[in-house]
Amino acid sequence: MQTSTVRVVRAMAASVFFVSASSAWAQDLVIGGLFPQSGNNAEYGQIFSSGANLAVEHINADKKLKGTLSIVYEDSQALPMQGVIGVNKLINVNKTPFVLTGFTGVSKAIAPIAARTKTVVVNGGGVGPDLADLGEYFWNTIPLINLEVRTLAPYMVKERNLKRFALVYVDDALGQAVRKELGEALKSSGGELIDSFSVPVTAQQFAGIAARVRDTKPDAVYIASYGGQQAQIAKQLRDNGVTQPLASYSAFTIASVLALPEADGAFYTSQQVNWDKGDAITKRVLADYKEKYNKAPSPYVLNYYNAVYAFGELAAQLQKEGKPVTGENLLAQRRKSPNFEFVGATVKFADDGTVSAPIQVNQIEKGAGKMVYAAPAAAAPAAAPAAAPAAK
Amino acid sequence: MASYLMNILVLFSINAILAMTLNFIMGYAGIFSLAHAIFFGVGAYTASYVAIHYTDSLLICMTAAIGLSAVLSMALALPALRVRGEYFVAASLGLQVIGVTIFSEWHSVTGGLSGMVGIPPPTLFGFTFTDQAHFALLSVTAMLAILGVVALLVRGSFGRSLMAIRDSESATQAYGKNVQAVKTLSVAVSAGLASVGGTIYAFYMSFVNVEGFMLDASILLMAMVIIGGTGTLLGPIVGAALLMALPAALTYLPFLPSEELGTVQQMIYGAAMVLLMMFRPGGLVGKRKGKTV
Amino acid sequence: MLYAQLFVNGLQTGALYALIAAGFSLIFGMTRVFHAAHGATFTLAGFMFYEIHTVLQWGWLAATLGALVVAAIFGVLVDRWIYNVIRRHEGSFFTLFVASFGLAIVVQNVVAIVFGRGLVTVSTPLSRSVEWLPGLYVAPITGIVLVCALLCFLALQWLLTRTDVGIALRALGENADLIQVYGLTPRRLSQYAFLIGSVLVVPAAILTASTSGLNSAMGHHIMLISIAATIVGGVGSLRGAAVAGMLLGMAENLSLAWIDPQWSEAVTFVVLFLFILFRPGGVYGKAVVS
Repeated sequence: MQTSTVRVVRAMAASVFFVSASSAWAQDLVIGGLFPQSGNNAEYGQIFSSGANLAVEHINADKKLKGTLSIVYEDSQALPMQGVIGVNKLINVNKTPFVLTGFTGVSKAIAPIAARTKTVVVNGGGVGPDLADLGEYFWNTIPLINLEVRTLAPYMVKERNLKRFALVYVDDALGQAVRKELGEALKSSGGELIDSFSVPVTAQQFAGIAARVRDTKPDAVYIASYGGQQAQIAKQLRDNGVTQPLASYSAFTIASVLALPEADGAFYTSQQVNWDKGDAITKRVLADYKEKYNKAPSPYVLNYYNAVYAFGELAAQLQKEGKPVTGENLLAQRRKSPNFEFVGATVKFADDGTVSAPIQVNQIEKGAGKMVYAAPAAAAPAAAPAAAPAAK
Repeated sequence: MASYLMNILVLFSINAILAMTLNFIMGYAGIFSLAHAIFFGVGAYTASYVAIHYTDSLLICMTAAIGLSAVLSMALALPALRVRGEYFVAASLGLQVIGVTIFSEWHSVTGGLSGMVGIPPPTLFGFTFTDQAHFALLSVTAMLAILGVVALLVRGSFGRSLMAIRDSESATQAYGKNVQAVKTLSVAVSAGLASVGGTIYAFYMSFVNVEGFMLDASILLMAMVIIGGTGTLLGPIVGAALLMALPAALTYLPFLPSEELGTVQQMIYGAAMVLLMMFRPGGLVGKRKGKTV
Repeated sequence: MLYAQLFVNGLQTGALYALIAAGFSLIFGMTRVFHAAHGATFTLAGFMFYEIHTVLQWGWLAATLGALVVAAIFGVLVDRWIYNVIRRHEGSFFTLFVASFGLAIVVQNVVAIVFGRGLVTVSTPLSRSVEWLPGLYVAPITGIVLVCALLCFLALQWLLTRTDVGIALRALGENADLIQVYGLTPRRLSQYAFLIGSVLVVPAAILTASTSGLNSAMGHHIMLISIAATIVGGVGSLRGAAVAGMLLGMAENLSLAWIDPQWSEAVTFVVLFLFILFRPGGVYGKAVVS
């Protein structure tokens, strides 16, 4: 028979244990990652998550947050429906207030769910211009493709004298957006989009398309696809007698395309990153990433690092003020302090959740991208609306 | 946790509806369709289209879905059922492929690969289905209702004609039964009721796109029917339950990486189909030798 | 010149489809088994070639042998271990078809786990085309495809008309019970059918790997072509399947002059539907109504 004292002590010990344990659990934060982990686009998933993981590591090492931060991944396979299923799991089962995503199609499908459940969703890889209009809970850390195309078109027309373009585009939200943007951008620069050819997302055979592209006798061919398919398109175009220069957008910055011998000499745009920014965060990311993966991080890595970093900053501020880390509070906090010292850039989130960054044009040379043109910062559209009324 | 379980309940009921309606033609009429996912899709897209553009009344959307599915299925049945066996398989495969292409390309109606977003919640007699619990109730009720309809049809004279046709078409014709009409009608019923599942699915996810209606989905439905047991009333329900529990059960195996879950799941039911056909063609619920009454 | 180019492309695709369809039709015509795992044979042969040639770097000869061995063994074992068991106690069309289908799914996913679900190609300079005429580009591999297909069909023709096994196989297709009277075993012969039918797929797999690439889910497409060509050509007619395969390959490529590639698979099926509607017997065969 235990004495009442012993029982009280036990009860106290138990309650202390439960209280501290539950408060520790209550403080541990979980964010979600909705990336393609399998299929033709798995390469992007690996790149995106490497950036996110590094940021989670840094945040925990710096003890920036009360409790540990962890990230849970779901496989979107870069498909909208899989994305919807994955994000539902992240929100309902893992109860996360913050999800990273990529790919225009997936983002468009999950945005309504984000809005309805007040979950913050951040995109660091998809570039379709619709991504700017997906609601207040959808943020982007990557400049969208209208910026990329509007930088490339005048450069190709004026500097390289390549005016007549043929476009091979994947038949989904991104491809259709590129078709529209490229047509307009070329026209306003004095060039022309002579013809465009859509391919199904799962296509592997492009000999027929190549024949039709050849038939239009373009000056250059723009490829709007991603992952394994864009490498196939480039290779089969070359195999089938298309000798004109190739061009594309930031999706080309993956190892499998850069290393492809048929892609040598191709032009592609990407966001400008100031590697020499010299502040602690940039240096640390460059050093740690190189140590782990033996190569410099691509802009995709930085975008996702920055996204998680932003979460860390916002959540830390919320915790300091004693507020729970929910999507609603994260959004409010971002509105209060929209400026961030990201890796390689000082950035301000616009009210629609986008960031703008100047674009650079690169050319593939011996398996690596070499910058050939950097658009001046004043060309970024964030400045443009302000400039327009002044110009009037 | 409750939310997770209710989600599974809704999806299970929808799959059970699809499996039951597929079993109606496969198990009882002996008609092999690899295009069932297309009728599921037609139901989903129709309901979404009507809900977004005209009215969110559940009854109207469902009726439109059933009607369109039934008519479309008759367009398939009429030519293909003249010649039996492998021809209908090929024709249904063709419909599956063409259906997916149309779903992906008819941008103005289906939204193409981006699908239809923001489908409004349905209303029935003034009540709006917003909560997961509402959908759980709706889907289970629909499943039981369809089970009832199938049971009635199968046990009645229509069902007996179907089974007679399945066992010997020429004999049934000799007895004066209009084989063509019975077969066509059964395909129409199957497709129409399948689109009920499609309607509920569209409203529940509030997002539809072609991915849910591809060949893989048709194959999964076929696996549910076969593993559960063709030609039985409860077989498809058992099959649906098992194949849905499979991915959840697989998550408990720690050595499986999460992105391979789908692959392993498919391997298991592929293997199950082979083994069952070798040793127990009647499926889990059916008799050893298959083909029941 | 666009049409000429698409015509040449169509010849290449058509020759590959003809080989694939002939293999399927041989098996189906002679053993009455709807070998839905024919696509799996193709996938295994292609990936084996890729593995030996590109990953292990043992040269194309070893790779070709490897592919042939894998295809042959797979075809024969499926017949021995799976179809025979089923045929012993029931053997209805339904059961065999489903078992075959289930096997195809298992193979597809095993390949997906081992090789991933993305695209895989075998690089070869032979796929680089050369300008023959202005606007007409032909790659050496097209020539190889056509020669290969021709040789295979000649060999098949000789096999089926001049050798005992071949003649017995044709008899098996006509009347399985009768051949037992002659002292031949249907079971042994059906294994020959599977062996030959599966091996026919190997050149197509190797050439596809070198041109448009492989992926784990391509078995479905192969089955689509096989079934469509068999029906369009006429069930039971090998020549019909080959001709239909060529026809479908041509249709798929020539249609690119007018429509987007999204619809090319649909074109195959429109052709199929038209035949089912107006000429279910196919080009050479007779319609079967039970």
